[in-house]
Amino acid sequence: MSKAMTTQSQEMQSRAKQAAGREGTRPGWVFRPDVDILETADEFVVSADLPGVDEGGVDVELKDGVLSIDARLGVLPDAGWRPVYAEFRMGGYRRSFDVAESIDPAKIRAELRDGVLTLRLPKAERHKPRKIAVTQA
Amino acid sequence: MALFGFRSEDPWSAFDQLRRELSDVLGSYAPEGPSLARGQTFPPVNLYETEDAWVLMAELPGLRAEDIEVSVEDDRVTLRGERKIEVPDRPDVSVHRRERQAGIFRRTIQLPHAPEPDKVEAAYRHGVLQVRLPKPASRKPRQISIHPS
Repeated sequence: MSKAMTTQSQEMQSRAKQAAGREGTRPGWVFRPDVDILETADEFVVSADLPGVDEGGVDVELKDGVLSIDARLGVLPDAGWRPVYAEFRMGGYRRSFDVAESIDPAKIRAELRDGVLTLRLPKAERHKPRKIAVTQA
Repeated sequence: MALFGFRSEDPWSAFDQLRRELSDVLGSYAPEGPSLARGQTFPPVNLYETEDAWVLMAELPGLRAEDIEVSVEDDRVTLRGERKIEVPDRPDVSVHRRERQAGIFRRTIQLPHAPEPDKVEAAYRHGVLQVRLPKPASRKPRQISIHPS
């Protein structure tokens, strides 16, 4: 490295990328993406950071009660570029979750935008909370 | 009720993995800035060199191109912006996991030499920012022809 690279005054920090728990059969690195999981009365919403992945590069599967995300990189440096300095490794992403029976598998929706995958997992009708009206005796 | 669980995750194996990766990273790149044990600077960047340019790549998932500001001054590139993650503030929303980072970021990266400031191009695709910083003409390799004597 010809000159040290310096960084200044960042207010924000990112988590170091973590390798996925299980090894895959594909060559290269596989990381465990950061996720947020929210629950509303009607659905679960899973948001996963998958920087560098395009629509064609992500598989979402629900099988035997396990929801898995498997993604390959679409944005890569050109082969001729010489690395000068590196802070992140590039590779695919993989993560899986046990999903409760209360999810309606037919209605799961997935959307990828700007490197963020959003999964919406609607709850089956019978598992939604119900308000019970209390009547006066 | 646990609706989501994480499979085959031995916490110690994850810790070992992280420690191995840290020593890899520190050993080969020795980045400056805050300790990696407390997280990395955001956004993480990689720098590449081609014959006529430097190319900076930054992982910035979930932003829009208009929310990222790139500026160049001499040999320094500054990336600025804010990553917003909105969680609806409603009583029926509960948060099970919050791993994605949000907030304001500002990073200055020093290049080996000053680029041609007017020819810098930035593109944002699929959560990755790519900034192409052309080298000044004097820095580009030149073929010298040899005349037979």
